[in-house]
Amino acid sequence: MTCARIREHLPSLLDDRLATAAAREIRAHLAGCPDCEREFTTLSQTLIALDAMPAPTPSPRLRARVYAAIAAEQHALRNPVTSAEPAAPVARKPATRSGRSLWFWLVQPLAAAALLVLGFTLGNRSIPATAPVTLPSATPTTTPAAADAATQRELADLRKKVDSMSQLVGYSLLQQQSRSSNERLRGVLTSAAVEKPDDKTINDLIGALALDPSANVRLNALEALYPHADQEVVRAGVLTSLPREQSPLVQISMIDFLVASRDREATPALQKLSANPQADLNVREAAKRALTQL
Amino acid sequence: MFTAAPHIPVDSCSFAVNHPADDLVATVDTLAPTSDHELMLAVRGGELDALGELFERHHGPLFGFLVKLTGHRAAAEDIAQVVFERMLKYRHTYRDEGSFTAWMYHLARRCASDHFRKTNAAPHATDPVDLQHHADERPDAGETASTGDDHALLHTALARLDRDDREVLLLSRFQELSFAEIAGILECSVGAAKVRAHRALHSLRMVYLKLQKEPLT
Ligand SMILES: [Zn+2]
Repeated sequence: MTCARIREHLPSLLDDRLATAAAREIRAHLAGCPDCEREFTTLSQTLIALDAMPAPTPSPRLRARVYAAIAAEQHALRNPVTSAEPAAPVARKPATRSGRSLWFWLVQPLAAAALLVLGFTLGNRSIPATAPVTLPSATPTTTPAAADAATQRELADLRKKVDSMSQLVGYSLLQQQSRSSNERLRGVLTSAAVEKPDDKTINDLIGALALDPSANVRLNALEALYPHADQEVVRAGVLTSLPREQSPLVQISMIDFLVASRDREATPALQKLSANPQADLNVREAAKRALTQL
Repeated sequence: MFTAAPHIPVDSCSFAVNHPADDLVATVDTLAPTSDHELMLAVRGGELDALGELFERHHGPLFGFLVKLTGHRAAAEDIAQVVFERMLKYRHTYRDEGSFTAWMYHLARRCASDHFRKTNAAPHATDPVDLQHHADERPDAGETASTGDDHALLHTALARLDRDDREVLLLSRFQELSFAEIAGILECSVGAAKVRAHRALHSLRMVYLKLQKEPLT
């Protein structure tokens, strides 16, 4: 082969997919031809430089727009407006967890976080309302100053909880936008392995239980929360997640959790669930059973 | 167009690009990893959520390809968006025997062509501000100036190639694509794809060497 022919074939030495029968001949030529050898070296350097070019990352807008497009298409699929698609059995399919509109998962984290915060607000209110009743004949001695201090404490407490809830929102957005369900599951399992988890770890687990789109991830999060059932925030997280939970398996596990933690606050939610005709039969029975055990 | 192509193992190749799905393999064994192809078949069957997973796996390399092809981040982002929108819109055309990556780049090439036709312009010569931006985005902050210059030179060299050359060259760097698939994307024969890839590499080398001798002012 002439030098010109050799040079034409040089790229095939740099890519396995271009392997050529003439490779041996080309290599032999390179060994004895400094000009061709130099050309080969610069070609190889060019390719190395090309592959080493930094990979830019897109702005978060791209993800948001693509997910919005998916959600819009799902919406169109479920709600065929025209008779253009007369055969639309998809629209009749009952809404399952996996078949849920993406809008649900885009909007829901914020709504859920709001719900949790609301749950704490109500929970905190119910404590001073019931506490005096159990105190025997001590009510008239409460001075305005003492009441004021109690209110201050309550407010401070509440603020602390709300702060941790705002981390939850951060959790949910992060989790759902950027990680696969496998990665999220790994995150939950890692959190579960922490011996003395801090508030953030607990919040992440509650976040996963309340918001993760994967039932497997939610179940594992619940499992990881068992050792911390003595914490009010954990019980409240499970209780708040229960009415929104769609998977019967996770629902029943949540009910078991509430029974195990002897959470009296769960009674109204369980009554509601046991009487809900939409709920799975097994779930309703589990709720009924739980009511007798609390 | 995308019939099953004989795959040559690329493990031994010193220029192998990272496969984005690789880090998904090492997972908890209760969850079987789903292939791109299975996910896209699910999308075709109406499970549109699966496209989210495909987006997570592939938008990075796709965006990188489009930035290098167009020389513009904003354009690349717009085109990438259109690519995923078209996957949704044309999901019914995805074939049983298809390769998702090949299909994605096929769509990307079409979308990029549409973009160039609309803006009625070849990609602009490299904007130095954009370049600086790229250099800054390197994850390793301790990068030497010469490496940054190298990237800048190569960026400029790429921008000076014909778009066809740039296209085939960038596609040929995705080791997970076979040349049969690249030929399918470019709508030419396998032989032609190889010849074009060779020629494009030679062109890039020439421009790159020339720029190295007379650096950017
Ligand atoms: Zn020679």
